[in-house]
Amino acid sequence: MIFNTPIFFWFFLIFMIFYGLVFVKQKAKVYLVIVASLVFYGAWNYAFIPLLVGSAVADYFIAQAIGNSDSQQHKKRWVTLSLVINLGILATFKYADFVLVSVADLLSVFGYHASIDTLGWVLPVGISFYTFQSLSYTIDVYRGDMKPRKGLLEFVAALSFFPQLVAGPILRARHILPQMHAISLPKWDAVKHGFLLITVGLLKKTGADLLAIPAQKAFEAHENLSTLEIWTGVLAFAGQIYGDFSGYTDMAIGIALLLGFSIPLNFRVPYFAVSPVDFWRRWHISLSSWLKDYLYISLGGNRNNHRTRNVFITMLLGGLWHGAAWTFVAWGAFHGLIITLTHYLAGLKVFAAFNSGNNKLITMVKWAATFYLILIGWVFFRATDITSAIEILSAMHSFTNDAELGRHAMAIFIMTSVWVLLVHIMDFYVIKGADKLEKKPWLFWFLIILIQSICIMVGEPSNEFIYFQF
Amino acid sequence: MNERMIYAKILFAITLCAGVTVAIMQGFIAIADAKNQGVFARTSLAREALPQIVKEPHDLVIFYGSSMTRAGFSPRLFDRKLNEMGKNVKSFNYGFGGLNPYFQDFLSRRIKDEFVANDKKLKLAMIEFNPFQTTQTRWQGAKPVVDSFLSMLASDAELFEIAKQDITRGTLLFNIRYIRNNISSEIITSSFGRGIFPPYRWRQFEDTEEVQQARREIGRKLGEFFEKDYPDLNYQDWMYEWQGAGTIPEERSEETLTAFEEYYDLNQTDAQMKNDRLSRIRSADIEELNFEPLLVESFIQIVKNFQQFSDKVEVIMLPRNTKWITNTPEGKKRLADAVKQIEQATGITIRDHQHLDIIDPTMFSDTTHLARYRGDVPYTEYLVEQYANDL
Repeated sequence: MIFNTPIFFWFFLIFMIFYGLVFVKQKAKVYLVIVASLVFYGAWNYAFIPLLVGSAVADYFIAQAIGNSDSQQHKKRWVTLSLVINLGILATFKYADFVLVSVADLLSVFGYHASIDTLGWVLPVGISFYTFQSLSYTIDVYRGDMKPRKGLLEFVAALSFFPQLVAGPILRARHILPQMHAISLPKWDAVKHGFLLITVGLLKKTGADLLAIPAQKAFEAHENLSTLEIWTGVLAFAGQIYGDFSGYTDMAIGIALLLGFSIPLNFRVPYFAVSPVDFWRRWHISLSSWLKDYLYISLGGNRNNHRTRNVFITMLLGGLWHGAAWTFVAWGAFHGLIITLTHYLAGLKVFAAFNSGNNKLITMVKWAATFYLILIGWVFFRATDITSAIEILSAMHSFTNDAELGRHAMAIFIMTSVWVLLVHIMDFYVIKGADKLEKKPWLFWFLIILIQSICIMVGEPSNEFIYFQF
Repeated sequence: MNERMIYAKILFAITLCAGVTVAIMQGFIAIADAKNQGVFARTSLAREALPQIVKEPHDLVIFYGSSMTRAGFSPRLFDRKLNEMGKNVKSFNYGFGGLNPYFQDFLSRRIKDEFVANDKKLKLAMIEFNPFQTTQTRWQGAKPVVDSFLSMLASDAELFEIAKQDITRGTLLFNIRYIRNNISSEIITSSFGRGIFPPYRWRQFEDTEEVQQARREIGRKLGEFFEKDYPDLNYQDWMYEWQGAGTIPEERSEETLTAFEEYYDLNQTDAQMKNDRLSRIRSADIEELNFEPLLVESFIQIVKNFQQFSDKVEVIMLPRNTKWITNTPEGKKRLADAVKQIEQATGITIRDHQHLDIIDPTMFSDTTHLARYRGDVPYTEYLVEQYANDL
């Protein structure tokens, strides 16, 4: 059940009738959120509901145990148990087959052809999101950043909260639990902003699905494509993944606003970034801040001259979080490398003026270099394997490619570029100046209905969101 | 504002937005006349004709298949010949270009429903097995129209069965049927896509400018002759009075028939035929014939559906333009396997009309379809000879 499908519309409409008109008491609302979230999740596969609920129940009681422990050693044991449970679930469902296949491949390099049976288990939707969310609670309690909260049902409701359950943003317990404890009445201004975000998200998702066509062509049949078409495909994928993922989270935030919840922003016009570090402050903010707070800092952060190592490990694991494949590891490693390089260059005297300069030309050069590097990174992310990634990268930089330019290649390139730019301008405006639009009701509702009509007419609800697979 | 009031306002905004959005979409679909375009129109018109067909007092015959059936079978000629023999027969052409066996299966169920509900039987069902409509390539190409055809051809009970297996998909299909007038978003997207970026046609070979000019000229003339021969005709993709097929020679003027001869000669140049062949290879895997198991199974189901309300069912492979389309050895093997599978599952021996002596390559309008008058007439006469005794 995804947001841009008819079934979600009917589900949400029925849910809202109960949520707003039937159950007005706090406790009843929490029950309703749990039931609705489990129905929402169960629409994919009911078999995984116990995993989600079990994970929540285990972490709830572990957090209580940490809170009740007197000694640091006991607390450490409990948090280790939480790590083992959550990462164990993730490892079993997401990484076991990858490890088994990789071991078999490694053995074959040394001449041992091991016959290893993979588990072949289905990956539960949203597992990477909710295990990280749940872990953040026990770690926060362990670190003393928050006290364990009473109310198992509220915790289950918060962890399974359907708007953000399957593709984030990854919420922190300290952010969502107080909201679930006292569900507030949505303010009309927030509701209007919710409608705007749902509409913008729908538009971005619709555009992303259309961009999937040139992207797929470049990544799955690049052999006969011209250099321009491959660049178009890579650019289209950059637009697709942004539109798809940020579109989903916009809709999630918008839906939550209609229910009286506030979910923090997950993207801040990332392709306007002027350095790789800046990019990670704007892209999938809830994940990058999670990795920074719970992994990078735990590894020692900037201390003890281990920044390079820690950045590299964090990015490598961040890459692996996205999927059990070497292409994701390579993507993470590539970002680790360019972040390290940025840090290194920033420390050089020769670049000092360049880095501190406010000159527009310098900013443009930084932006162009960053965007180029991000595109290179997406090649690793989207390619079917490392060999294809290298072939695509080589074709992108080949000036002797004699493949015939396809019909409409230039038109598609221009349309793709314009779409990626327009979506960013739209997002910039939504972040900075949505309130101005929301104060003009006729124009506001006209745009909402117009955009929704276009999206519903041409949007293909059969296309799932890319981030569900992570 | 009290709590219920604000939620009532939110619900009102949601339903109002949705209502206006649906109204705009319905308006757009009506203006674009998407329902009355191409195979959609033909399929729905043919389906709408069923209640009238079952009330016919004659012995009924349906030739069911692809665009090859549509081009190759002339029901009015078939009936005339049989009526001359004293047989009280009325036949219909149920050939649909672009309607692969998966969709044909659903349409055949609706035909069955109509016949069974009226306690009527078909005297003869001729079902075309078209190998290249049954390939994986064809199935891939049909993906954008699956939802639309399903919502148009499946019954509510069948859609409900889909919903039981996959609630999301089932709701989507019901939504397409009752809210989107059977027009899925994929149809609109691909239609706009074709408008903005017309599909690449195989034009590897070019005729001389003179030939191209002559072809355009004769095409224009044929259009004019059609207007002249049928001045008051309100043409539709499937017309009851023509029994689902096209025109017949008896209705055309001498100059039209001469123009048709010229038209076919100009269309059968090497360049035209080579381009058409490449296009068929690309869009239908016509020589290699890598079959899609789902489509083969669907074809078997079509035959079984017809067996339930027909006195006799024949499965036929229509004449093939062997000068231009030659199956590879692997393709031949795959075809033989598919034929065997169908014969075993249905208990019917497939009649192979691919290499008939009475049909030669000049009788085709392209690499696959029999030409009107040149091809459909001799083939229909052949069918009369073959099946007169059964009727």
